[in-house]
Amino acid sequence: MVDEKSADLRKPLIEVKHVRKVYRMGEEKVVALDDVSLDIYKGEIVCFLGTSGSGKSTFLNMVAGLEKPTKGEIIVGGVKVHKLNEEMVTLFRQKNVGFIFQSYNLLPMLTTLENISLPLVFRNVDKRKRDAMAKEAMRAVGLKGYERRRPSQMSGGQQQRVGIARAIVGKPKIIFADEPTGNLDSHTTQEVMEIIVNMVRENNQTLIIVTHDRTISEYADRVITIQDGNILGIEVKGVAKNPLKESVGGSNG
Amino acid sequence: MNNLDILGLSMRNLLRRKTRSILAVTGVIIGICAIIATLSIGFGLQESFRASLEQWGNLHLVTVYPTSGGGGGYAVVGGGSGPQDKKNVKLDEKALNAMEKINGVSGVSPREDTYLTFGIGKYIASISVIGVRPDMIEKFNYEVQEGRNLHAGDKNVLVFGNQTPGTFYNPRKSWGSSYSGKPVVDVITDKIVVTADWNYGQPQRNLPTDANKVVYKEYTFKGVGILANAENYETAYNVYIPIDVVRKINEDKAKAEKQRYDKTSGYRQAMVFVDNIEDVKRVSDTIREMGFQTSSMNDALETMQNQARMIQMILGGIGAISLLVAALGITNTMIMSIYERTKEIGVMKVIGANLPDIRKLFLVEAAIIGFVGGLAGIGLSYLLSLLMNTALLPALSSILNSGGGEVTRISIIPLWLPLAALGFSTAIGVLSGYSPARRAMNMSALESLRNE
Repeated sequence: MVDEKSADLRKPLIEVKHVRKVYRMGEEKVVALDDVSLDIYKGEIVCFLGTSGSGKSTFLNMVAGLEKPTKGEIIVGGVKVHKLNEEMVTLFRQKNVGFIFQSYNLLPMLTTLENISLPLVFRNVDKRKRDAMAKEAMRAVGLKGYERRRPSQMSGGQQQRVGIARAIVGKPKIIFADEPTGNLDSHTTQEVMEIIVNMVRENNQTLIIVTHDRTISEYADRVITIQDGNILGIEVKGVAKNPLKESVGGSNG
Repeated sequence: MNNLDILGLSMRNLLRRKTRSILAVTGVIIGICAIIATLSIGFGLQESFRASLEQWGNLHLVTVYPTSGGGGGYAVVGGGSGPQDKKNVKLDEKALNAMEKINGVSGVSPREDTYLTFGIGKYIASISVIGVRPDMIEKFNYEVQEGRNLHAGDKNVLVFGNQTPGTFYNPRKSWGSSYSGKPVVDVITDKIVVTADWNYGQPQRNLPTDANKVVYKEYTFKGVGILANAENYETAYNVYIPIDVVRKINEDKAKAEKQRYDKTSGYRQAMVFVDNIEDVKRVSDTIREMGFQTSSMNDALETMQNQARMIQMILGGIGAISLLVAALGITNTMIMSIYERTKEIGVMKVIGANLPDIRKLFLVEAAIIGFVGGLAGIGLSYLLSLLMNTALLPALSSILNSGGGEVTRISIIPLWLPLAALGFSTAIGVLSGYSPARRAMNMSALESLRNE
């Protein structure tokens, strides 16, 4: 769905324009996002940093098409995500989005290989092809030989690697990671983060991480701090490898 | 998702919750088993009614009497009655021709009964005699097991019901027929003496003195065949003779006894053969419309089958209730499993499962419960049926047997029944799973992102 031609450096892959999200809790209105505008470019690793309740997860959900904004526009690869119906949004996710969850969210009755190939099953890829793709993804995350294991037979770090393999197996353009290391110890956190970042860099994918852990933000090109539904600050890191150098520099381009 | 993947994933989910799945399946097994077993008892009852009626007579035959007079007492089971307001209609050739023209009727014969004594050498037997049109007997499906049947133009020729040869006995050696079934004499012979004299061949000392004054004629007959319809009371204990000859004998008998024999008032009975048993009721109605009385075994069969159907419906209703409970069980199982898997459903949605796929997953799970339950239920029903027809046969037959005949099978499962049951149980599964599956489909994907 994402138009390849539009995904150049000049045009952002993800455009968020004046997005506002209000939850109704009975009589009370809770403002999750106030007025957020942001552009994210292809190949970028963006980290949203904030405490719980800051609105960072809401932002991610809306970009992924899981929630609709109360106001504003979200355009991903030229597609107005906020205007898609549920069926279209599912198709959009199938083709463009990979998800990494905090609690891994693997299906317990499926083996590692089956868990990883599940997104391809939903996309109707035939078995031989999807098994080959899943095995490749397993190799990439260092899980070769674990094909027949079940989630219950693996450690948290291993399970999260299965989760990563599942997110990247369909070669999506964007990968969302919601507290991907929230359940892991610091050593494993480092391991997992390195795998994720390497994969993304290798395939020139766009990664959006949501976390409250400042150490995670070290891996990002840009760190966006969110508080009470508004962007508090944007910190650009590793300028040398940042594809946004010119546009951020704002000069001639 | 292709269908194979959906089936595989559904199976995995069921196997994951083994106990619960087994309990839900057991509910269906019990329900299907109850329905099949009870229906099969109903079919068994119908069959035993039919079998016992077939022993009493031919289900294709309708016996016709004039509205008044005549030997109306022959077949008493379920006898119908004619309209009372009609005038007496003669049961004559004209009426018989009209009956023959009724759609579905393939043969009509007048009939006259009598009771005669037969002598072959020193052996005698007293047997009930039925006079029929000789060319009709084959049309009535009366087959011979030995010799030949009556043919058109036969005069002093007779065929024996297959139990009658055994009734011949030697009056000088025994007091009466022993009905041993084993004939002591070859009845296919041309030296048979037939007479209306009850005391023919008896030792002189047994004769009542006044009977000596009546002198009955004696006729010579030729026995040509023995009917094959074993165990059928209608034919097995009779001798069949061309009707003209029977009428002549009855006339001679009346003359000898100095009584009047009315030849002009038409026949006293007629037999109408209907090709298809289904048509018997319609043909009977038509004949009654003509002003005659009719009776047929089929009337009785219908009454009995209605009774069997009623029993079947009551039993089947009990079975249906248990299946209903099973359906509730499936729904409950599915709802529980959906609540349990809220997060999984959300994950599947987030990583790209289409909404119809989610619904299909749960529908197929419910359908599998129904299908597997149906399959096992059918297997168990056959086992139960076998048990009823063997070990439990003596006990059950005394309870259920109201038809009179000997019951050999309590439970009959026609081939369509298991197929229908399997389709039904699967449909029940899908139906019970429909609402839970919808619920799963409409569940929010955000659940999966909520961190615990």
